[in-house]
Amino acid sequence: MTPSFDPSLDLRIERVIKGPRSAVWRAWTDPRSFEQWWVPAPTRCQVVEMDVRPGGGLVTRMSENGGVFVPHMTACYLDVEDGRRIVFTNTMAGGWRPVTEPFVAITAIISLDDHPQGTEYVAHVMHRSAADSGRHEEMGFYDGWGTVAAQLAAFVERRA
Amino acid sequence: MILSHMGQYSQLDGIFQALADPTRRAVLRRLGEGPASVGELAKPFDMALPSFMKHIHLLEGSGLIRTQKQGRVRTCAIDRTTFAAAEAWLSEQRAIWEGRTDRLERFVAQDKER
Repeated sequence: MTPSFDPSLDLRIERVIKGPRSAVWRAWTDPRSFEQWWVPAPTRCQVVEMDVRPGGGLVTRMSENGGVFVPHMTACYLDVEDGRRIVFTNTMAGGWRPVTEPFVAITAIISLDDHPQGTEYVAHVMHRSAADSGRHEEMGFYDGWGTVAAQLAAFVERRA
Repeated sequence: MILSHMGQYSQLDGIFQALADPTRRAVLRRLGEGPASVGELAKPFDMALPSFMKHIHLLEGSGLIRTQKQGRVRTCAIDRTTFAAAEAWLSEQRAIWEGRTDRLERFVAQDKER
């Protein structure tokens, strides 16, 4: 299916990457490759689980300033089209198991297509609506950058 | 670029730690109405002053509030720049994904040379 794009909640990054589609695919699906670029240096990334198929888990850890590796992301692949498309969300762990709401909930759709100069790369990242976040705040979760904080900001601004 | 991303991570940690406590949220709500002294802020809470000061220090460390001491009175105020940053969350997320795509691009280019 083709998801809709909501400009207030989604972001879309389009890039022509100068390299074959197979190389971009490998960067996304080979754990040792993925570790090389997923987080900005000097932070280091470790792939704990990468089971690239629908329902498979993607778990990463990171180490800041040479410290111990701590949890970074727990996600679940929702759709995988070999060499062309990866859809994953961090609102579930492997096996489609729901998880405690992450820091910033996303569903990301990574699409690759051939291009005369290499690979046409599109990342479409969807975020949760502010209304949903309000509900979570009542439930006592404080997890969304731009959800709780933005609500507080709005609260403060209204009284300014 | 890379440094600003690292800054984002640690600032986020501080903000969420600050927001995760009901006393601190109540303090922020009160400060939304305007600056107040520590004494005034502490009044509604049944808490020893040193414990209350820990909350104030944590809020200050997160960048959500600023404090200023004049004589024996410390006054607290909301720091609007931090709140403005919180509102710009989508552009923050965009910056993270742009950076990620930059690194992917470089990685694929290097990979090809090997």
